Amino acid sequence: MKSNRTSYLFLACLFLLGVLFLLNLSLGSVKIGFSEILEGIFTDHWERASYREIILNFRLPKALVAILVGIGLSLSGLQMQTFFRNPLAGPYVLGISSGAGFGVAILILAGSALGFTMGGVSPWSTAFAGIFGAGSILLLVSVVAWRVRDSMTLLIVGVMFGATVSALISVMAYFSQAESLKLYTIWSLGSLGGLGWYQVVILAVLILIGAIPVLASTRSFNALLLGESYAESMGINSLRLRWLVIISTGILAGGITAFCGPIAFVGIAVPHLARLIWKSPDHRVLFPGSALVGAGLLLLCDTISQLPGSAQTLPINAVTSLVGAPVVIGLVIKRNFSKEF
Amino acid sequence: MKQQVLIGKNLSLGYGIGNQQKVVLSNLDFELSSGQLTCLLGPNGVGKSTLIKAIMGKMEPFSGSIDLFGASPSSYHRDDLSKKLSVVLSEPIFPAQMTVEQLVALGRTPYLSWSGRLSEQDKKEVSLALEATKIDYLRQERLGELSDGQRQKAMIARALAQNCPLMVLDEPTSHLDLVNRYEVMQLLQEIAKTQNKAVLVVTHDLDIAIETGQQLWILNCGSPLIFGTPEDLILQGEINHLLPDDQYFFDSKRGKVVLRHQISSIQVEGPEELVYWVKKALVKSGKPIPKDSIIISEKPFRIFCEGKEFTLISEFIQHL
Repeated sequence: MKSNRTSYLFLACLFLLGVLFLLNLSLGSVKIGFSEILEGIFTDHWERASYREIILNFRLPKALVAILVGIGLSLSGLQMQTFFRNPLAGPYVLGISSGAGFGVAILILAGSALGFTMGGVSPWSTAFAGIFGAGSILLLVSVVAWRVRDSMTLLIVGVMFGATVSALISVMAYFSQAESLKLYTIWSLGSLGGLGWYQVVILAVLILIGAIPVLASTRSFNALLLGESYAESMGINSLRLRWLVIISTGILAGGITAFCGPIAFVGIAVPHLARLIWKSPDHRVLFPGSALVGAGLLLLCDTISQLPGSAQTLPINAVTSLVGAPVVIGLVIKRNFSKEF
Repeated sequence: MKQQVLIGKNLSLGYGIGNQQKVVLSNLDFELSSGQLTCLLGPNGVGKSTLIKAIMGKMEPFSGSIDLFGASPSSYHRDDLSKKLSVVLSEPIFPAQMTVEQLVALGRTPYLSWSGRLSEQDKKEVSLALEATKIDYLRQERLGELSDGQRQKAMIARALAQNCPLMVLDEPTSHLDLVNRYEVMQLLQEIAKTQNKAVLVVTHDLDIAIETGQQLWILNCGSPLIFGTPEDLILQGEINHLLPDDQYFFDSKRGKVVLRHQISSIQVEGPEELVYWVKKALVKSGKPIPKDSIIISEKPFRIFCEGKEFTLISEFIQHL
C-alpha cells in the first residue's frame, strides 16, 4: 500500500513535469500554443517560420538546461545533506560557487583592472573560467578532506574557503571598472538561456557523469543516515564515499555554475520538498524524487522569469529564491521541519 | 552447543601519540561464547570503549591478540566483518522520519546490492528481527514518535537483522528508565539463548548485569580483566573490585552495593527487614546516632527511642 502511494506520487510528478515543460516552451514574449509546439517538434511543420527558430534554438535548449540544472543541483544538495547530516548543507557549502565565481571574476574583473583581456567574454570563456575556479577550490578542499577524519571539520573548512574567495572577489570588484563590474554582476545573477545546443550536450554529459556514481551508491547513502560509525559497521567504506561526494558535487555544481552562474536555493530546498512529498528518508525514493521536483521547480521559475507577455526577463537566481523561499517557509512553519529531516 | 566466538590473549591496547605509546589496557585475557549474554562493567575512563573499538577492528593491539572466528577483527575485509559483528552504539543518532521497518531493513545493508533493494529473504529476516524484539506492532511507526525504550529495541532489531553471530552493544540502557532497562537486558538475554548468539553489553547497571548476564567482565584500572559467572564473582568477593573506594562493599546477602559505614555498629532491635531500612535512613541522614537503644516493632510499625514513639522513619530522623 505504501509503495503504491510512492508510485502514484512519482507518476503525478512526472505528469506535472511534462505540463511545466510544455508551459515553459509555450510562454514568453510570444505565446505559442501547446498543439503547435507538439506538431512542430514531431512533424517539423511550423505555423510560422519564426516559431521554429524560437522553439528549437531558444526555448527548447533553455528548457532542457532548466531540467538539467534542477536535477544536478538537487542531487548534489541531497547527497551533501545526507553526508554532512546537516539540513542546511547544499551544493555550495564546500565553496564551489565561490570558486566558480572566482574564476569568472579573474576573467572579467581582474582582466579589466590589469588591462588585459582573455579573448572577450563568451559563454565558453566564462564556462572555462568557472570550471577552473571551481576545480581549484575543489582541489584545496580535497587536500583537507585527505587530512581530516571528521566530516564536520570538512564542512567548516569548506565554508571558510568560500568566505575567503568571496572576499578576494570583493577586492577585485572594488578595483575594477563599472563596465566589467556590471558584466560580472550579470553573470552572478545566473542565466539558463544563451547556451547553444553544443553546450547543452556538454552540460548533459557532465550531469550524467556526476549523477551515475551517486545513484550507484544508494545503499551507502541509506546506511549513512545512521551516521558514519554505523555505516562502517555495516560494511560501508566511508572514506571512498567522501571522495565520491566531493567529486560528484564538484562536477554537478561546478559544471552548472560554470555554464549558468550560481543558482541559489534549489540545492538546499528541493531535497526537503522531496522529503515532505514522499515522507521517506530512503534514497531509493529521494534521489529520483529530488531530481523530478528540482527539474519541475526550475522550469516553473524559468517560466516566471520570462514574465509571460512581456519582452523583459528577470534573473533566474533571484526568481528561484523569490518563488522558492515562501513555499519552503510555509511548509516549514506548517510542519515541524527539524523532525522531518 | 557453546562455541567460542571471541578470544583475547594477553592483549594490550592504547593510542599512539607521536612516537609515544599510551597504553590504556594491558594483559587482558577473555573469551566470549555463543548463546551467552556477557556484561562488561567498569568505571568511566577505564578503557571499555577502547576495548570495544579493538573488537570492532578499528584499532590494532600493541601486543597480544584478538581472535574473532580464527582471525583478528582488523584483518577482516569490511564486507566480511559486517557479517560477523553487528553493533548498537551509544550515540543516539536516528533520522526522525524513518519508520521502524526501514531502520531494521538497514541492518540488511551488508547483503544488498548497490541499489539497496530488499529481496524476499531480506524482508523475511527483517520480520524475524521485529518479532524477536517484540516490536512488530511498531513496524510502521516513525522513529521520532517512539519512546526511548522502543527506539532502543528498534536499534537492537536492526543489529539483529544484520544476522551476525556476535553482537556488541555500548551502553544500550543508559537513557532508559528502570523498567525499560530490565526489559532490554531481558530481551538481549533471550536473543543470546534462542538464537545462539554471543552478546556483549557494556553497562553500568551492576544490579541488572547480575540479574541477566551469564558472564561478567570486570575491568579495573591497572588490574587484569576479571571474568566469570556473576554468582561466582559475588561469592569470591571479586565484584568488590568494581568499588575501588573502601566505603562501599557488595552485600552478597542482599545482592546490592551498600555503604560500609558504621552500619553494624548502630544498636537497633527488631525484625531484620525493618532494622535494615531504619539503619540505612540513619546513616544517610548524617545525624548523631542516639546513645539510647532503638527498638522497632512491626504491625503497627513503631520506633521507640529516648522514651518517645514514632510512626514514620522521617519523624524519627527529624527528632534526632
